[in-house]
Amino acid sequence: MTHHTLPATADTVHWGYFSKSLKPQLTVKSGDRVTIETITHHANDDHARMIAGDAAAEEIFLWTAEEKTIKRRGAGPQEGPYEHGSGEGLGVHLLTGPVEVEGAEPGDVLEVRIIDAYPRPSANPEYKGRYFGSNPSANWGFQYNDYLEEPKPREVVTIYELDMSAPATVSALYSYLWTPQTDPDGIVHPTIDYPGVRVDHDTITKKEGILSGVKIPARLHFGTMGVAPAEADLVSTIPPSYTGGNMDDWRITKGARMFYPVAVPGALFSVGDAHASQGDSELSGTAIEISLTGEFEFVLHKKADLPGTVMEGLDHPLLENDEIWSVYGFSVTNYLAELGPDHQYEILKSSSLDNAMRDAFRKLRRFLMTVHGLSEDEAISLMSVAADFGITQVVDANWGVHGSIRKSVFTCP
Amino acid sequence: MNIRQFVSESYPLDTRGNAWRDILATLGLRSDSPEQDFDHFAAAVIRGQADGVLLGSLTATAQSLSPLARRGRMPLVMMPLDEAVEVAAEAGRFVIEPGEAVILPADKTWDAFLRQNTNFAVFSLSETVLHGQRFGLSPLASPFHVAATGLGKVFLQSLRAAASELDGLSDLEWQSVEQVIADLYLTVIVSLSSAAADAGVNASQAALFSRLTMAIERRVAEPDLSAGRIARQEGISERYLQKLFEQNGESFTHYLRERRLQHARMALVAPDELRIPISEVAYSCGFTDAANFNRLFKERFGLPPGAFRTNHLKSLMEMANAEQRGWPVKALTDRKVKKRSAVGGVQVGDTELAGTPDTDGTHHVLPANSKTVHWGYFSRSLRPVLEISSGDTIEVETLTQHSSDDPELFIKGDTAAEDVFFWNAEKKNVDRRGAGPIDASVYGRGAGEGFGVHVCTGPIYVNGAEPGDVLEVRIDDMVPRPSGNPDYKGRHFGSSVAAWWGYQYGELLQEPKPRENVFIYEIFPDGDGGGFARAHYAYRWTPQEDPFGVAHKTYDYPGVPVDPATIEKLSPVLSGIQIPLRPHFGVIAVAPREDGPVDSVPPAYFGGNIDNWRLGKGASVYLPVSVPGALLSIGDPHASQGDGEVAGTAIECSMTGRLTVILHKKGGRFSDLTYPLIETPEEWVLTGFSHPNYLAEFGVKGQGEVYAKSSLDLAMKDAFRKTRRFLMGTYGLGEDEAIMLMSAGVDFGVTQVVDGNWGVHAIIPKSIFLTEVEDQDLIVRA
Repeated sequence: MTHHTLPATADTVHWGYFSKSLKPQLTVKSGDRVTIETITHHANDDHARMIAGDAAAEEIFLWTAEEKTIKRRGAGPQEGPYEHGSGEGLGVHLLTGPVEVEGAEPGDVLEVRIIDAYPRPSANPEYKGRYFGSNPSANWGFQYNDYLEEPKPREVVTIYELDMSAPATVSALYSYLWTPQTDPDGIVHPTIDYPGVRVDHDTITKKEGILSGVKIPARLHFGTMGVAPAEADLVSTIPPSYTGGNMDDWRITKGARMFYPVAVPGALFSVGDAHASQGDSELSGTAIEISLTGEFEFVLHKKADLPGTVMEGLDHPLLENDEIWSVYGFSVTNYLAELGPDHQYEILKSSSLDNAMRDAFRKLRRFLMTVHGLSEDEAISLMSVAADFGITQVVDANWGVHGSIRKSVFTCP
Repeated sequence: MNIRQFVSESYPLDTRGNAWRDILATLGLRSDSPEQDFDHFAAAVIRGQADGVLLGSLTATAQSLSPLARRGRMPLVMMPLDEAVEVAAEAGRFVIEPGEAVILPADKTWDAFLRQNTNFAVFSLSETVLHGQRFGLSPLASPFHVAATGLGKVFLQSLRAAASELDGLSDLEWQSVEQVIADLYLTVIVSLSSAAADAGVNASQAALFSRLTMAIERRVAEPDLSAGRIARQEGISERYLQKLFEQNGESFTHYLRERRLQHARMALVAPDELRIPISEVAYSCGFTDAANFNRLFKERFGLPPGAFRTNHLKSLMEMANAEQRGWPVKALTDRKVKKRSAVGGVQVGDTELAGTPDTDGTHHVLPANSKTVHWGYFSRSLRPVLEISSGDTIEVETLTQHSSDDPELFIKGDTAAEDVFFWNAEKKNVDRRGAGPIDASVYGRGAGEGFGVHVCTGPIYVNGAEPGDVLEVRIDDMVPRPSGNPDYKGRHFGSSVAAWWGYQYGELLQEPKPRENVFIYEIFPDGDGGGFARAHYAYRWTPQEDPFGVAHKTYDYPGVPVDPATIEKLSPVLSGIQIPLRPHFGVIAVAPREDGPVDSVPPAYFGGNIDNWRLGKGASVYLPVSVPGALLSIGDPHASQGDGEVAGTAIECSMTGRLTVILHKKGGRFSDLTYPLIETPEEWVLTGFSHPNYLAEFGVKGQGEVYAKSSLDLAMKDAFRKTRRFLMGTYGLGEDEAIMLMSAGVDFGVTQVVDGNWGVHAIIPKSIFLTEVEDQDLIVRA
């Protein structure tokens, strides 16, 4: 086993898209471990706390009238005139990678074990050693067209601090109402419509003392993790799909093992969009977005070795931890294949929990029949009395419902 | 999609009125009612854009509506869907019946009165869609009544269909629909302006005519009703009355006869009135001579009344195997609900108690037997079987309705189960099972039709409980009930059916399709609320004939004893698998405020079939009280269930619970609670439903509709709104704080997708809040 390190730098990150054509930043063998840094795409919501003094973050987010380190942000057009900016923010997550896995071919399964995850401290001397995150209630959130109070609609950003002393918790520091922000290229962003725009703190009013007396248990996890899809060259990071991506399940954390069907040679694994905590549904559009570093172990399972394992017949992401297996249902199972050339836009109109539930039900039934050798009738009875279905997220265009079965149910595995 | 959904219960009490006014203003309407009381309910789905077509489907309790004067809007259309609406304008008052509509000018004065909880559609069109052409439209001088004839009928039916599918259409489909309706509307308006100009029929004449027809409707049962009498009542000459009818194309005599016949036709097939002799139907519609009635009826409808009724029943029987849970919507549209309709069994008024209730102690024992259970329905008219006071404890026995899946294991030797399930060719101890008609005139499945399936123990009358209070039911303990059969002494069993109402039924992979399966589980409790279950054996459902001779091809009626000779037991099944127990009660309910029996399957504001496994030992549920005494019922015990309950049932297993019941008076801790709220030692669990108050939304007559219109998307929306309200109201958070907290620290899960009214719950861990919430007083920050 070799241990590698993949720091987040302007060269090792890609922003807002997956692509099978991206140049691998690291090549590993099955069984290798890699320490990977990730930086949250919401760091500019509070530049002083999350970017200042952090050389890597400063370089990645650098954007002046003359210079923009990472131009493409999203899978949209790279040539103007832009509505929002290069890549058009069609995909927002800052991902580190891709990592190429030697010998991985379509039809194989890549297992990614999360050995550890820990936060990236602020490098600003003023906040030295402290950890900060941001939670925007954004225009793509479930609440956006359903506000009670004025002004309607609105976007509100809350900055949080993570306290790692056990048990780790997160508390709100302050919040502000999003005001139109002008980026260095002169484009005005009336809403949060393009990632990495630095919020000018002179234009906002900070509200202190919010959520006082509230401490949210930390659930450090990676919101976006997955391999490159085969269907298109540039794929937005927002809708999750059969190759993983923006799954936004807080159970994808230390101790979890994720299984992804490999779609392109080398698998091309990327990770980012780290969260300090999130509830099932990720209601406001985002979690508590934070920069985390993770230690991952990669295990490649060749197609021929899959029968007889939990990966037999797997064509979607699967989670395993000490307690459960989870499958993930989506509004559209494989939107890249099903929705035609305009899939990036069509998926925005196809969000539905009802369809996601249907998909999760089918995937779990298949899992119980193929992997555990149950008859269809046994699988259905077992699901009704022992499987739990939950709402993963209602904000990532391709909405998610997960179905989980406890491993303890199977006394003789 | 440009859809706005609104349910008043999502809002804190003091902001509900404003939120409702906002919604009405979208449509150019204003409510003239004073501040709503707590019973007030309103819901709306509105689709479209302010500068184009807007169509809304609304439900609201009694109030009057008037126009909000605005420029640039065409007259709006209001169409009552279930109850009549009365419109008053300068030209007079008239009544708009369900299925008709009224065109209301936005710039004139009028009032529309909702006399009770009413469903109605509102259609509004911006002048901008006319692109400056006015088609020679003349402004409408006063409200115009659109009757269901000719072009008007086409327009009304399109409007009605669109209103019922507002949230079911894709954007593209909606565009076509709104175009069609807008075109029809303009055609109606144009023909209206030109007809009025040509024929000299003015609006006041139309209003008068409408009033005359209303008078006839009210007095249709009077055998000696005449043109003279009606004219006198309305203060006009008989001649003028005759002229008005002639203008409308028929004579008064002919019109009256037609109305009498139509009334008779409806009465003949009304589910509640199937046993009324035909001669009585004739008299009730103003016919004095049965022979004459028979002849006229046959001339008009092609069949004599007796044959007509038989034919109708036959066609219902043919539908009997159509898979439909609950009241079929179609049968209900014709159904007349009477005040205090008979529920079967013992009936008393709201507050009257039977015999001498047990009031002399703080601990009560409530055994289950055929006198203490009600099966498949809730009702405010049920006689209480026990009276208690706040703070009392009860040991309550509950029996699973699935005991009949294996009578040998579940019933034999258990006196209580033998009593409740007793059914032979002559006698059935608990006849009514479900909220359907007692004579099974819809499908013929059996009394109550199985519209509701749960055996519930109760109701329990709680002293001093009044509408507006909140009843807390705490589960101190629950234990499974051992088999009464000496052959299985000391063992415990449960049953789980993958039934036709399950999520899998329409999309099974293996043959034969479709099919239903029963899994019998053995339960191994560990004596401390835990333990596990193992599958004992399974069988495929085969048609079962009940002791009255009715065949049940599917699991369509509860408590039908399964004949072991007709099934093939499959064993071993689910070998090597053991399921951790999650003992809980599926059903905990107080009586709904609506009249008549209410199906026990769809959960709603009064609790009911909540099916959340967190409602077990150590948990409490808070239920808003709707009737004096609360009338608490408990049943549907489960040994274990997963979130989703996908196959349609849990591991159904008879259990005995020890409960503490606490009454919280109005104005206290939960003054604006409008849904079942679960509290466990660690969490708050809020229950969201597709249709949080489906009885008000669809009307008691529309109970069945909730089965057709369930959706997780709606349930998620409801759960979100309830959680926001809870965090704002109970913990004093601002709206933005509540939303952030929900995103970062609240888990939403799928409760069930099989109970008609689908459920999504929100789990708030109490540990999030640093300040412990005291038992009685929640913290409210100023």
